[in-house]
Amino acid sequence: MVDMALSANAEASAAAMSRTKVLGRLRARDLVFRHLTRAAAILVLIILSGVIIALIEGSLPALQAFGFDFLLEERWNPVTEKFGALAPIYGTLVTSFIAMLIAVPLGLLIALFLTELCPMWLRRPIGIAIELLAGIPSIIYGIWGLFVFAPFLQRTLQPVLIDWFENVPILSSLFEGPPYGIGILTASLILAIMVLPFVTSISRDVFEAVPPVLKEAAYGVGCTTWEVLRHVVLPYARVGVVGGVMLSLGRALGETMAVTFVIGNAHKVSASILAPGTTISATIANEFTEAVGDLYTSSLIALGLILFVITFIVLAAARLLLLRLEKRVG
Amino acid sequence: MDRYAWRRLRNSIVITLSIGATALGLGWLILILGSLVYEGLSGLSLAVFTQMTPPPGADGGLLNPIIGSLILTVLAILIGTPIGMLAGTYMAEYGKFAKLTVVVRFINDILLSAPSIVVGLFVYEILVAPMGHFSGWAGAVALALIVIPVVVRTTEDMLSLVPKELRESATALGLPLAHVIRYVSYRAALAGIITGVLLAVARISGETAPLLFTALNNQFFSTNLNAPISSLPVVIFQFALSPYEDWQKLAWIGALIITFAVLALSITARALSASRKSP
Amino acid sequence: MNSLAGISHGVQSPAPTIADRSIDDAGKPAAKILIRNLNFYYGDNKALKSINVPLYERKVTAFIGPSGCGKSTLLRILNRIYSLYPHQRAEGDVLLDGANILDPGQDLNLLRARIGMVFQKPTPFPMSIYENIAFGVRLFEKLSRAEIDERVQSALRRAAIWDEVKDKLQANGLSLSGGQQQRLCIARTVALRPEVILLDEPCSALDPISTAKIEELIDELKDDYTIAIVTHNMQQAARVSDYTAFMYLGELVEFDTTSKMFTSPGDRRTQDYITGRFG
Repeated sequence: MVDMALSANAEASAAAMSRTKVLGRLRARDLVFRHLTRAAAILVLIILSGVIIALIEGSLPALQAFGFDFLLEERWNPVTEKFGALAPIYGTLVTSFIAMLIAVPLGLLIALFLTELCPMWLRRPIGIAIELLAGIPSIIYGIWGLFVFAPFLQRTLQPVLIDWFENVPILSSLFEGPPYGIGILTASLILAIMVLPFVTSISRDVFEAVPPVLKEAAYGVGCTTWEVLRHVVLPYARVGVVGGVMLSLGRALGETMAVTFVIGNAHKVSASILAPGTTISATIANEFTEAVGDLYTSSLIALGLILFVITFIVLAAARLLLLRLEKRVG
Repeated sequence: MDRYAWRRLRNSIVITLSIGATALGLGWLILILGSLVYEGLSGLSLAVFTQMTPPPGADGGLLNPIIGSLILTVLAILIGTPIGMLAGTYMAEYGKFAKLTVVVRFINDILLSAPSIVVGLFVYEILVAPMGHFSGWAGAVALALIVIPVVVRTTEDMLSLVPKELRESATALGLPLAHVIRYVSYRAALAGIITGVLLAVARISGETAPLLFTALNNQFFSTNLNAPISSLPVVIFQFALSPYEDWQKLAWIGALIITFAVLALSITARALSASRKSP
Repeated sequence: MNSLAGISHGVQSPAPTIADRSIDDAGKPAAKILIRNLNFYYGDNKALKSINVPLYERKVTAFIGPSGCGKSTLLRILNRIYSLYPHQRAEGDVLLDGANILDPGQDLNLLRARIGMVFQKPTPFPMSIYENIAFGVRLFEKLSRAEIDERVQSALRRAAIWDEVKDKLQANGLSLSGGQQQRLCIARTVALRPEVILLDEPCSALDPISTAKIEELIDELKDDYTIAIVTHNMQQAARVSDYTAFMYLGELVEFDTTSKMFTSPGDRRTQDYITGRFG
């Protein structure tokens, strides 16, 4: 200000001048970088909308030809060019449902073991092993399912199930027919093995987020491990577990390769879960490159659109639930 | 039975079940790896890495699909990583408080778990159909679309872990944000971002569905990206479902190679992120 | 202790008088920074209420008060570091050499190069000791290799850490002890030749010996720089500062020479605080 020495003043202003110049250059680069990152972020949105638009556009011929009946029609006949999505939709939903029915309780139990029972030194190795299981590509599950698991089921589990339920009303039709090995049940079991690591690791994370004081307090009044899980951990972690289950369901619905190998690829809705069937992704994977004619291709893309809409809804709901949980914890 | 004994019993049942479930989960891992090694290892020889895929009944290896997979993976990472890192950088740095970030995060999380076969259909619609033929480029783009959400997510997460004090003190030196990011945030988050990229590599090296109708397959050795190109997962898919035993054998060998590559990548990634936590 | 007997003035008097006095009162140091009627908001929460206080040129001004009183907030206004975050805003005047830095047109990078800041936790950047200092200098000025070496050395000397690190300049900054890291951060700030240095509880994470070294350093630095230090340690304020401001619940209760503040404070709350009755 007033009593600043003149020389110092001049020096300082010269320095300030040169800095202003340098900063101008740096800031230009900063601006470029800022816009570049923003453009990349927007690109993520463009990709998603691109996927939706491309799928809608590709499926228009089929949707125009078949209309709403596409969803309810079981026939899938490339020769007469009559296509309906009922069998793949049914197969997708049923396999995923059975897979979740098996994987969710198992995953919760493993998460319970990892957070409450497992000795400390074992926690990390087992946790890592479970996560490695999640990293194995689905085609490996497929080839294993086709060559090892399906023949095994054909020899063991399937005849037993057929025998057991032969004379039980209702259930008999569920387990009816010859033991093919491949089919809806086998695909469901493979899917269950595939999503098990997801369910486990998400449940474990959610369980670990339960404040230790809550658990300690419950143990303190004499609760058993099961009671702590049932009355403290699960209620507290409910939203997170549901979110994690839906996330895994999203994976199961869209899973392609593991299922394609073992589902049998029959466009048919059967009551028996031992019968071969198909799923949306398996149908696309099997038939897309061989599809001749616009209507055939378009019908397959329409299947893709249906799959995308279903998984989008499930995944969005899962994310919203998990987001709500994060807000509560944060 | 008194109430207390009943509670104890119930508890024991649950504990037993939970131990059993864990054993079952680990059992699968051992079973799958076991059959892979059993079926694949016997056929693993040098020829696998030096010879082309054979016609049925002849001898051969997996050279062309291995090279094809390497090319596709490298290309996908080269395309996907910069885009993913830039987007993640926007979300964690420039746009930390922007509405756009909230939307992009939500959409990205959905893309992260979206069915990969749908990505294949998308790329078919935008690249293969207009170009009139399947191509290596289409395959690389399809894989890149799977890489992007993974890298976006890790970049954002890792940059958010950089202590705010570090960013503040770089800013307090008068540096524009681009320089704060480059010299401080990126350096601090580097190990984490590399981990994410490695996990993305692991993820795409086994991806089959998006390649089926983009890169398709090629029986011959080809590095031409404008033509169909072979890849390990697609060859496994084709050979495993074929009626020929020697093709099935090659499928097992391919599966073994992919599995070990993927496991090695995930273990490296994990080791890297563990070493970052305890410097 | 530099006591400037005879210069004391309470702050309860209306704002303009301080400003006037700093100019017209001969023999008194000039105000490098003059804060007039400053309000600060975190969203709707008013964190600072009409603060009026000068920072005299080449003097050390300490800000004391119980936690949450707004002393760190005040410091974070002086280099506008708060602008990194949304929903934080300042109203009023902060005059640096007469120019209001709260002006929307203020060049923030330039301002921060003139007003350095050292944070509570040592924040060495994830790079070598040498680079920690050199990279900021290099960005702002085009210097030869030898000139940069020169600047790095003089900055490290200035921060009284040269002797400890001269043999390991290429070692990672994180390998230093906490006290050394903090002096490295001071060296980094000094290397950019700022006019004002802000210290936000610089010793709170350090042991007593490191603290003593930093305090010594502050005493030397004030020959060249105007210094503001926030501290929760009253002994420290008494040891290092020429002026002391006592803040309480977002208000500036009292400002005076340190000797006056610690011997005969004018306000009852100041007295209670420095005698340890609360805080």
